[in-house]
Amino acid sequence: MNSMNKKIFNEIKAIFKNIEFTDIDERKYSVIIPKEKAVSFLETLKRKGFSHMSLITCIDWIAEKEFEIVYTLFNWETGTTLMVKTRVDRDNPILPTVMEIWPTAKYYERDIHEFFGVKFEGNPDLRPLILEKWEEIPPMRKDFDSAKYSKEHFPDRAYDVDFLLEGSESNE
Amino acid sequence: MSILKGAALLILAFFYTVTLEGIARKITARIQRRYGPPFWQNFIDIFKALTKHSISHGFIFDFGVLMAFGGTIATVLFIPAGNLVVFPGLDNVFVVIYLLAIGLLGMAMSSVGSGNPNAGIGIGRALTQMLGYELPFMIVLVGVFFQYKNSSLSDLVNIQIESGQYNAWLMPLGAVVAFISLLGMLGKKPFDVFIAPAEIASGPLVEYSGKYLGMLLIQHSFAVFIEIGLFVNLFLGGGRTIWEFLVKFFAVFFLAVIISSIMPRFRVEQAVKFYWKWPLILSFVQTIIVIVSAGR
Amino acid sequence: MTKQQSAWEKVANMLRARSLWMLYYCTGCGAIELPPTMTSRFDMERFGIGPMATPRQADILLITGYLSTKTLRRVVYTYEQMQAPKYIVGFGSCTLNGGIYYDSYATINKLDLYIPVDLYLAGCMPRPEAIVTGFKKLMEKIDKGEADGWKRYQENYEWYKKNQLDALGEVYIHDEFHE
Repeated sequence: MNSMNKKIFNEIKAIFKNIEFTDIDERKYSVIIPKEKAVSFLETLKRKGFSHMSLITCIDWIAEKEFEIVYTLFNWETGTTLMVKTRVDRDNPILPTVMEIWPTAKYYERDIHEFFGVKFEGNPDLRPLILEKWEEIPPMRKDFDSAKYSKEHFPDRAYDVDFLLEGSESNE
Repeated sequence: MSILKGAALLILAFFYTVTLEGIARKITARIQRRYGPPFWQNFIDIFKALTKHSISHGFIFDFGVLMAFGGTIATVLFIPAGNLVVFPGLDNVFVVIYLLAIGLLGMAMSSVGSGNPNAGIGIGRALTQMLGYELPFMIVLVGVFFQYKNSSLSDLVNIQIESGQYNAWLMPLGAVVAFISLLGMLGKKPFDVFIAPAEIASGPLVEYSGKYLGMLLIQHSFAVFIEIGLFVNLFLGGGRTIWEFLVKFFAVFFLAVIISSIMPRFRVEQAVKFYWKWPLILSFVQTIIVIVSAGR
Repeated sequence: MTKQQSAWEKVANMLRARSLWMLYYCTGCGAIELPPTMTSRFDMERFGIGPMATPRQADILLITGYLSTKTLRRVVYTYEQMQAPKYIVGFGSCTLNGGIYYDSYATINKLDLYIPVDLYLAGCMPRPEAIVTGFKKLMEKIDKGEADGWKRYQENYEWYKKNQLDALGEVYIHDEFHE
């Protein structure tokens, strides 16, 4: 951890109590923040130099019944990547939007809403972005059975068995 | 007699230009170190297009194609090809230019009638580029007419043959300008922005299918014959016989193909800017030289 | 199998086989195999096969790779804009049986349920040699009058439309960029 990052992180630690910056790799850190503080935390990070929001993504922790939203931020002065993780209840996934901080977040939030069903309060436009005519549960959730859906909607081809056996190991 | 001559000229124009275009594809392929299609490939393309089904987009669409086709055929009849002259004495350059405009306008009308925005963009670009190359070309033509006090194509050819001095040697700057304008007329690179297949889906031709496309490919080959024929007659002295004319035609076409196969593409405003800069200056210089030397 | 062709059909098929203009729908990795096939090394143009920018003028439609439900709508649109006779070539295992995306919720498995395919090129992806061989085969089929996918599509239109509706819900394109 070089001095520049240390300085920023210490300043942030002074504002937000009980947070821990984990060292993943060289110039790569992660931090976990409760969802109530997420927006003010990201706002502070932006003012402290992490001005570039590269990506917002989501992970479905089905055993813990939680969604994890990951904001990937980048600092152009120190070349540091910081992953801000926040967790939200799987049954009632509602988060405040970060569109006021980064307007480009609109499309990432649309995408997450479409594929995980996480609602972002304050985002005016949560229409589907990629899927068309989707009636099932959001497809990136772990309890969605992709193979079953594919089998129901898109019929497959049946091959003659002797063609497949030729040249395979079971042919001996 | 003139009917037979006219039919002969049309058949000659069609087969010669389409063959040359096939050879041009071969030349381009060889420049790119490919084997290239056979030289009769363009005939197959045209006749195949005529066997396909086609779709119409309304009366204007159909009528414009016929207008372009008819206008271009009418223009071909006024181009003297060596000793094959259909209307001796009537083949004034202005007749050719006005009749050619009918074909182009028919094309423009029909493309816009298809309602496809790509066709509209393509036509807009084609007409803008026309504005670019017509101006220097016309100024050079004025120089030529002033020199001989005559604007009949076959008379100009005869004068050049009798004096033994082609206009390309008498006014080299003018010939260069006319050749650059010719590249724009033919839609060869670097002036092919109105076709631009990757950008606007072949521009004006975007909605034509099957038989319409076949007709327009034939029309295009006639247009190539007119434009290069005009250049050969005006600046290279046509020919005493038809063979001499065809050889000169081939030389000009070959040069245009070589240039077009190694050039990237101008944007439309770059093309117009280019035409209104060097070709225009050179054409003015040429015309002033002609006028001053004629005055002495 | 070979039907009796009239003299006119024979000539027409001979011309159609020797001049193929292709429209490529490059959704998948097949897009990367086409440039070497078209350029100096394998030079597709020597068979009279060339790229064409617009569906109205194209003869063959190349589906190079997997098709998601969203792109299938556009493919059906494009196919119906093309003028008969028209042929479809399916590239790679994705169009045959779904390929590595066989269990994906978004990609279809079997292309010829939705549009008639005249020729499949197996492989993941097929090499340019395989593509050239496949095109030679397609040219033979057209010459003999066996490549009749466009006729099958006209005759079994209801069946194809039903399959399309089953997989897509609706074939009409709703798009925020076209509203």
